[in-house]
Amino acid sequence: MSKEEKKTLNSYLSFKLGEEIFAANVSKVLNILEMTKITKVPKAPEYMKGVINLRGTVLPVVDTRVKFSMSATEFTTNTCILVLDIDIESDSLHVGALVDAVQEVLEIEPHQILPPPNIGNKFRSEFINGMYKLNEEQFIMLLDMDKVFSVDDLLEIREIAPDVYAENA
Amino acid sequence: MDHFQSKFVEEATELIVDLEQALLNLESNQNDKESIGLVFRVMHTLKGNSSMFGFDKIGEFTHHLETIYDFVRQGKMKLTDEIFNVTLKSVDHLSALLNDINLTDPVNKDNHVSITQQVLNIINLIGHNDLNTSSDFSGNDDDSYGLFEEASTYHIFFKPKENIFSNGTNPLFLIDELHGLGQVKAYPNLSSLPGLQQINISSSYIYWDIFLSTYKNANDISDVFIFVEDDCDLVITKLIEKNLFFNESFFQRIESLLKEKININLIDIQQIVLNTIDNTNDQVVFENVKEEKLLNVNSQTKEIRDIKDSSISSIRVSSFKIDEMMNLVSELVTSQARLSLLVEHYNIPELMAIAENMQKLSRQLRDNAFSISLIPLQSIVTRFQRLVRDLSHELKKDIEFITEGTETELDKTIIENLTDPIMHILRNSLDHGIEDAEVRTKTGKPAKGKIILSAFYSGAYVYIEVKDDGAGINPEIIREKAISKGLIAADASLTQKEIFDLVFQPGFSTAKVVTDVSGRGVGMDVVRRKISDIRGEVEIDSKIGHGTTITIKLPLTLSIIDGLLVLINDTYFILQLAAVKKIYSITHKEVQKAQRNMIILDGESIPFYYLRDEFEMGGTPFDVEQVIVVMYQDSPVGLIIDKVVGEYQAVIKPLGKHYKNQDMISGASILGDGTIALVTDTNKIIKKCSRE
Repeated sequence: MSKEEKKTLNSYLSFKLGEEIFAANVSKVLNILEMTKITKVPKAPEYMKGVINLRGTVLPVVDTRVKFSMSATEFTTNTCILVLDIDIESDSLHVGALVDAVQEVLEIEPHQILPPPNIGNKFRSEFINGMYKLNEEQFIMLLDMDKVFSVDDLLEIREIAPDVYAENA
Repeated sequence: MDHFQSKFVEEATELIVDLEQALLNLESNQNDKESIGLVFRVMHTLKGNSSMFGFDKIGEFTHHLETIYDFVRQGKMKLTDEIFNVTLKSVDHLSALLNDINLTDPVNKDNHVSITQQVLNIINLIGHNDLNTSSDFSGNDDDSYGLFEEASTYHIFFKPKENIFSNGTNPLFLIDELHGLGQVKAYPNLSSLPGLQQINISSSYIYWDIFLSTYKNANDISDVFIFVEDDCDLVITKLIEKNLFFNESFFQRIESLLKEKININLIDIQQIVLNTIDNTNDQVVFENVKEEKLLNVNSQTKEIRDIKDSSISSIRVSSFKIDEMMNLVSELVTSQARLSLLVEHYNIPELMAIAENMQKLSRQLRDNAFSISLIPLQSIVTRFQRLVRDLSHELKKDIEFITEGTETELDKTIIENLTDPIMHILRNSLDHGIEDAEVRTKTGKPAKGKIILSAFYSGAYVYIEVKDDGAGINPEIIREKAISKGLIAADASLTQKEIFDLVFQPGFSTAKVVTDVSGRGVGMDVVRRKISDIRGEVEIDSKIGHGTTITIKLPLTLSIIDGLLVLINDTYFILQLAAVKKIYSITHKEVQKAQRNMIILDGESIPFYYLRDEFEMGGTPFDVEQVIVVMYQDSPVGLIIDKVVGEYQAVIKPLGKHYKNQDMISGASILGDGTIALVTDTNKIIKKCSRE
């Protein structure tokens, strides 16, 4: 699949973090793994959960909940690792993202995507490509995975973290 | 054709490096005939290759350069600083030309014009001088060669091998090229041409008897054949110091002889020459000259053969293939670890024997594959020599640059990443370290400064030292500066070593004046970062008035290490085996009792770190734990872990960008059962722990 084709895919994989539903473009998701043993790397930031063996390569795993300033992921039978293909500064690298549960694949046409809200949101809007109205009660946030998981942004998120905590508290 | 061109670029790049090296050698030893010859030969090859592959600009440019060194070789010209400056500049320009063959970059274009002009100026200078002293000089390859009776006549027997076409050579072009040297008459011999049935259209069957009259010497003639010398029989004989083209009867006789005999030999030709020439003086000359020439040709071919013999012992392999092989070896080692694990589990004696053998083989294969990807430091030394040369000229400092142990081999990835840091260190030494000649003589030092670059092995590491005998660094100045920059507190008490270490802090530059060369405040911190990227360390030591030594410590390889597998809580860690001195058992109670982080082992009190706590691993400690004693800055330090699993060959895989700030763990390795072990860097662990 060429890069151009990837961009035009309208399929999104939805997943849960707590009660909130998010979705990522399927072109970014390489694999969905069941929970496996994660080797913790000492003295790493809290959102870096550790590394796993993905068919002979070492894959770093991010605790997505911690990244979004939620409490650390508690492992259940539904907990999954999404293997993501992230583009950072023309480099492509793989990273695992812990999510509470994977939901479904949604077909979302571009015209159905609503602009991200500016206020009253605890998630930074620059990480959100848009919103999709799933049903009368629920909206799904379509995440820009490249931005969410790029290395530099991890640091930035930490810098803004206290504010978000304050908001939650 | 693209393929050939990229091949050419690859070869030319190497030739340019050789050329630079040869020039630098020549500069330090200006009367060395061999070096001059080497410079000339490399230029000649470069010229030939580039014209052959359509890189006309390079061909033309090298041709001019070659002209200069041809004069030098013939002793018509003395080497001067100006010549070296221009030639070295030209060498740089050649590299630029290789990447920008059509001079699309305006900078290259301007350079091309100005450097060509400089080269031509030198040629012209010599050309005029030369015209006054020597009568047979002629600046260009025009047709005047051989037109006069004083020219010499040569016989060239040229028989290409049958497969000569396969490398793209057309023998007729070579004969054409001879026309550039003077007058030529070539008689093809078709006697070995087979019948139409047997003929193979891709083979060459013809050979030639060529007569040439020219002012050039036998060397110049054999240069024409330089690219085919392995693919043909070639005999060059000087017949007489006379232009036989003025003697029509000679060629009549030769032609009639050719009609009678299928093959004519040298004796026949000699006879004809003798018969044609009735002047007795010339006959005497003829005999002498011919013998001498034959001898010359012989000794020359011997020399060439010597060179050939030594070069055959190595082959060129693309680095891509080597990387690929290293990957395969890494996978093999990982699979092998799995096999060993299975064998342990099933306990079948036959299988065990095979597994052990496999282990031995894969270890040997690993070592071999490694040694292939190692390249000697020498490969980058030329650049350093060049830098020192140029800078010492620019700064007007007389400096002797000595290299030692440059045969020391390192992984090619390490070498690639080492160039910039060393360049920077050298620049610093030249600019700030070595004093001006006046200052030096005043302080009783020799006026000529000295920089020594030496490399040596020690354990699993390679050390590279850059040592100068300059002014040295005053720790007090560093201290003051660090305080003024807020790097340390004004009352901080630091050891000398710690003070020198401040130099590597970002934004630290001690130069009072910002010069063109160094001292922009981005310096040693970049050096340290680049070196730690390849898992190396850098240290500085200095004595005021005596000089500065910068030591770089590097791992031998980046991809597979012999490690010690240990367990802390539920996580496997790998320590570099070479760093491990001894292992002791110790009860947890003893650890708890230990005071000021010191334990007594074998009657010696050594500091220790309890890694379960340092790594924040949690879990319950074992009753009996293990102390791994490693060397840190020449003194023993204990690291306490739960359990030693055993020796392990670890294929190191990177942790990825997300862990780039994690320097205690240098990578991860996958064990036979698929679990991950973290590869530790003991030096970094101790450094980090000791700071806290």
